[in-house]
Amino acid sequence: MKFAKYIFTFLLLGVAASAWSQSAAAVAEPANTDSFAQVMTYILAIAGAVLFIVAMIYVVKVNQFLYSRVLDLEASKSGVKLPEAAAETAKKAGDSFWTRIRKQYWEDAVPIEREHEILSHHDFDGIRELDNRLPPWWVNLFILTVVWGGIYMYYYHFGGGGPSSAEEYKIEMERAEAEQSIALAGMANAVDENNVVALTESSALSEGELIFKNVCVACHGPNGEGTVGPNMTDEYWLHGGGINNIFKTIKYGVPEKGMISWQSQLTPSDIQKVSSYILTLQGTNPPNGKEPQGEIWVPEAAADSTATDTPGSGGE
Amino acid sequence: MSRIEQFQYDNRIVRAFGMAAFIWALVGMLVGLILAFQLIFPSLNFSQLGIPYLTFGRLRPLHTNAVIFAFIGNGIFMGVYYSLQRLLKARMFSDMLSWTHFWSWQIVILCAALTLPFGLTTSSEYAELIWPIDILITLVWVIFGVNMFGTIIKRRESHLYVAIWFYIATWITVAVLHIVRSFELPYSLFGSYPLFAGVQDALVQWWYGHNAVAFFLTTPYLGLMYYFLPKAANRPVYSYKLSIIHFWALIFIYIWAGPHHLLYSSLPDWVQSLGTVFSIMLIAPSWGGMLNGLLTLRGAWDRVRQDPVLKFLVVAVTAYGMSTFEGPMLSIKSVNAISHFTDWTIAHVHVGALGWNGFLTFGVLYWLWPRMYRTKLHSTGLANTHFWIGTLGIIFYAIPLYWAGFTQSLMWKEFTPEGTMAWGNFLDTVKQIIPMYAMRTIGGTLYFVGAILGVYNLVKTAQQGTFMAEEAAEAPAREPKPVAVAGEYWHKWIEARPIQMLIWSAILISIGGIVQIIPMVFIENQVPKIASVKPYTPLELEGRDLYIREGCVGCHSQLVRPFRSETVRYGEYSKSGEYVYDRPFLWGSKRTGPDLQREGGRNLDRWHYDHLIDPRVTSPGSIMPQYPYLADNELDLSQLPAKINALRQLGTPYPKGFEDRAIADAETQAQQIAKNLQEQGVQDEGLETKEITAIIAYLQRLGTDIKVEKSATNQ
Repeated sequence: MKFAKYIFTFLLLGVAASAWSQSAAAVAEPANTDSFAQVMTYILAIAGAVLFIVAMIYVVKVNQFLYSRVLDLEASKSGVKLPEAAAETAKKAGDSFWTRIRKQYWEDAVPIEREHEILSHHDFDGIRELDNRLPPWWVNLFILTVVWGGIYMYYYHFGGGGPSSAEEYKIEMERAEAEQSIALAGMANAVDENNVVALTESSALSEGELIFKNVCVACHGPNGEGTVGPNMTDEYWLHGGGINNIFKTIKYGVPEKGMISWQSQLTPSDIQKVSSYILTLQGTNPPNGKEPQGEIWVPEAAADSTATDTPGSGGE
Repeated sequence: MSRIEQFQYDNRIVRAFGMAAFIWALVGMLVGLILAFQLIFPSLNFSQLGIPYLTFGRLRPLHTNAVIFAFIGNGIFMGVYYSLQRLLKARMFSDMLSWTHFWSWQIVILCAALTLPFGLTTSSEYAELIWPIDILITLVWVIFGVNMFGTIIKRRESHLYVAIWFYIATWITVAVLHIVRSFELPYSLFGSYPLFAGVQDALVQWWYGHNAVAFFLTTPYLGLMYYFLPKAANRPVYSYKLSIIHFWALIFIYIWAGPHHLLYSSLPDWVQSLGTVFSIMLIAPSWGGMLNGLLTLRGAWDRVRQDPVLKFLVVAVTAYGMSTFEGPMLSIKSVNAISHFTDWTIAHVHVGALGWNGFLTFGVLYWLWPRMYRTKLHSTGLANTHFWIGTLGIIFYAIPLYWAGFTQSLMWKEFTPEGTMAWGNFLDTVKQIIPMYAMRTIGGTLYFVGAILGVYNLVKTAQQGTFMAEEAAEAPAREPKPVAVAGEYWHKWIEARPIQMLIWSAILISIGGIVQIIPMVFIENQVPKIASVKPYTPLELEGRDLYIREGCVGCHSQLVRPFRSETVRYGEYSKSGEYVYDRPFLWGSKRTGPDLQREGGRNLDRWHYDHLIDPRVTSPGSIMPQYPYLADNELDLSQLPAKINALRQLGTPYPKGFEDRAIADAETQAQQIAKNLQEQGVQDEGLETKEITAIIAYLQRLGTDIKVEKSATNQ
């Protein structure tokens, strides 16, 4: 019977442990791609470990309690009464090793029934004060945080070699650049303004449309008719038409005209898709179309496209 | 033995402050609820109807001020006026001062309510009130101090109980904080510029802001806890030694922790690190208060189940323990990198405000009212209902916002493997958390309903009892000189000497501020100069003051932190030298909208025009209020000369005589912007005299000074 109980307990713990390892593994997946997720994995793992330890302590405590209940029950069954006085003397005779450890480092309150020994004689409007020792764990916590503070200041400011905020930033950017160049080595993203070709598959175009609806409509209107930004449906272009120029304008932007650079928000293949979609708007002639801006673009002009580099040439 | 003296406690003043506390509680919470709904339904800002007074930006400071200074402030005075008299065995020093204190404090609150919706604000968090009100607050605080110390001087107790140590530290620290934060130069009856600029203003602000939390929301309430919790539980305080150690440690360490609001900002690293380190060291001293409260309940836990007062107090102290653990965790830079600027912070402060301050105040009210009205609480059941609704309210408030903050932060930081931002459009990260905002309103509503039940219960209790205005008491007169008893604890010495207590508190709370602020202000190289950074033009200055008036800073930061996720999204990270002419600094503490530090030149003037008139036009799904009246209101340039003079006096290098050219200069720039708008297709006429040109001028200037420098080096 007793054995069964222990086995059951351990089984439970086993289940718990495997559950934790599984959740840790599940989170570890994206850690390869994102250092932030990695940090979160560590935090989860540590939280898991702490929970595990707490659970262990709890189980042990429950066992202790149950065991003492069993002893009590058996004592009462057999009619033997545990002598109160004996228990008292046992207490006074000296604390066990663990009790002493507990009192020194953890908790050392005077029990309520003896608190008159440390009760203040004076009262403030009926409020009296006990003179309990500072809770040792609290004192230790305080000391620990002060020591940690010293180490922190040494590490970051007195020769410990800890990075400054600016250095941390540099490290982060270098790492990101390295990761990015590896990722961009993949074919799909090697598209740039020189080698880009207009896509015609409907799936790519509908993806392009989605991007357009998400980010472009704010300035170019829901149908590309132009509002703050120019009309996309006519044959006039400020910075050159054709897939290469459109790609370039989206990628680098024309900041002095209010067109922001999108390369930090859209991947090269995204830009290709949305550029291709924009080309399909040609000649759709939506209502409220904005007046033409720029020049009629003819493919031959693409070779010496200077329009991009001469701001101010726009307008009528 | 001296002869027994008879005297009376003044309960009227306690009742007055108590009633003010619960009336303002309802007002402050209601404004908070409105704000919560505005974040889901932008039309509730009513600004689209041309009513400018109720926008989120203007109501937010009203909410924080009403809750902190009106609700909790009156709660403090209620508790102090009740406990101080009894702990000192003396009536308040002067009834006249008590009532002057009461009414002048309510006037301060009314002034706040009458200025903030009108956009009269300094924009410094929790110090938004304009300079004439600052002076009034100073006077009220002096009156409170005289009344309190007068009572202490004529006390019949020889020693001061721990609650009074906290009251003394509160009084002196709030005085120092308020005065230093209010160093400002007025240019008109309503307007002023702060003495400190940019990064220094930021440091002074968060030294103030953080310690307003510490010494207005924490230390006085710890004092109240030390009186009302042992009284309600009828148990002795757990440990006198703990009181001593945690009191002195708390007031000394707290003051250093302000810079944890500025982690990864352009504040020098060493000051940031001090903020982190002292915040961590603050865990134990803060928990000292919680422990002494909870352990005092040893042997009384069975009564916690029955007595609503104890329930409120227990949850209050527990919430205090939780938020004072969470605070230091949020001060660790790597955690702060996630939490800062998100709703996580909002959740954190509400655990403190709703749990600790709110529940402690209600606990005290439920304890005081039956006693002062010589009756029983009208309904224990109703009080229990209040307790449970309130507790659920806190949970339903906090959890969705923790979730929202964490989610949004992860979205801000997420990159695709190709190195682009996964959520490049800031708005997508806002839309994602709107459901959490909706859940938060449920929490807020629950808490508010609980508070209404509480007020009803208290009113009913008052109706069924008879008020005891004068409470008779007696005590022996105090010995003229404190007698030292051999073997008594060393700390008893200072407990019998209130003036020394005041002086030592003042010294301890000054150290942290001095070490951090003095070098920042007086050592030149702490803020490296950037040659290309120039003062604002007169029109930009007016635009900036409009930005302040509308409370834009409540939702938009102007601080790009040195993270990849921020420099890719916003641009180069902020340098302290960029802010040297920013009076006040406008870094903000929450990004409900995107950062604006690099907004200049990012969008066309036309875009800003459309966006301000109706943000949904350019950004579908945006929750920003509409500002159509900016295009209708005439731009008032008449104060420009006074503003330029004031700024020059504070150190902004406007040339001599510039104040005379300022208005013409502003008009020229406004005409240029109006012309741009027209060229870009805006149909409206006469925009050059409207407010909107000034605010566009300011937005287009933001962060461009160092862009200039960059392109200059590139050429």
